[in-house]
Amino acid sequence: MNKELEHQFVTELENNQNIVHKVCTLYTSDRDSHNDLFQEITIQLWKAYPKFRGDSKFSTWMYRVALNTAITLYRKSKRRIKTQDYESVIFKIKADEYDETEEQQLKLMYKALKQLGDIDKALVFLYLEDKNYSEISETLGISEVNARVKMNRIKNKLRTILNP
Amino acid sequence: MMDELDLLKKDWQNKDDHLPKLSYNELYNMIWKKSSSIVKWILIISVLEFVLPHLLYLLPSTREGLEIYTGPGFSKYLIGASIIQYSVVVYFIYQFYKRYQEISVLDDAKKLMKKIIKTRRTVKNYIIFSLTMILFMFILVAAGIYFNDDFLNNFTLAQEAKNLNPEQLKNVLTITMLIAGVLMVLLMGAIYFFLYGRLVRKLKVNYKELKKLEI
Repeated sequence: MNKELEHQFVTELENNQNIVHKVCTLYTSDRDSHNDLFQEITIQLWKAYPKFRGDSKFSTWMYRVALNTAITLYRKSKRRIKTQDYESVIFKIKADEYDETEEQQLKLMYKALKQLGDIDKALVFLYLEDKNYSEISETLGISEVNARVKMNRIKNKLRTILNP
Repeated sequence: MMDELDLLKKDWQNKDDHLPKLSYNELYNMIWKKSSSIVKWILIISVLEFVLPHLLYLLPSTREGLEIYTGPGFSKYLIGASIIQYSVVVYFIYQFYKRYQEISVLDDAKKLMKKIIKTRRTVKNYIIFSLTMILFMFILVAAGIYFNDDFLNNFTLAQEAKNLNPEQLKNVLTITMLIAGVLMVLLMGAIYFFLYGRLVRKLKVNYKELKKLEI
């Protein structure tokens, strides 16, 4: 029985690991921290897995656990040195698909994203993952109206970062 | 701006190919690793906080030192203080356990942070309580020295000290006790609040951020 649960969980995780990687990409700035956070999220997911009843999709359930872990994990505030390399690997933009200004814009956007606070990041992350406001509000524990208000503020904040 | 964010969204959803891919085995090994979540740290620190003061009794010098407490005119206060202290400790352990059990990563972010902060506050209150108790013990001993002449006889004093005028000796010992007590409490408090403060600072910032929205 236990073996079966393990197998089920790891298979699900393997298929959905992109979600966790994306959270890690957003919340960390070097490979080591990325791996640490990934590992912690995996442990938390596994610990909570017996309570997963399958009444929602595995991926939906993952968002909550992953973001909660990222927001509450104690991280030493390492000064970002290696950031540049790492980001350019992860956020590589296919040059043939976009014109140059778009590419430039995207780079700036990703950079701006990194400067947001933990909560703002969580909101933007869910937004980018195409979650609606009711899902966002449930995940973070705020009302739908407040989620919208907050999202607008973040947009303004991003605008200020982009056009100082 | 809207356009830029939509552009970002499109790009974001297309970049799966650039993300790392872990194999089944790598993921399987990961689930058996030790967690380093904040909740775990709070638990470790709390257990240490509960256990450390008791370890002091194991040191021979402390045990000898404690023998003075059993001297005349003092033991009844000590027993009373111990009973109060241990009932409060049991209460704190119970509170802590209850709150610790309530923490679930499946709650929404706000609820989760609230519960972690509540659990941590229980530990903080316990620390304040035990620091107060330590200070109180020192004051009690100082008062014992000052007001009770017999009490002084319970100390094994160095030869030089015996040559001093008893009145002077009493004053010196009383003041030393008080200063030592205050210093010890300040030092322990500073270490504790520094370590713990660092641990939860980020969490508190995030929690405040979400709470701000409710106004």
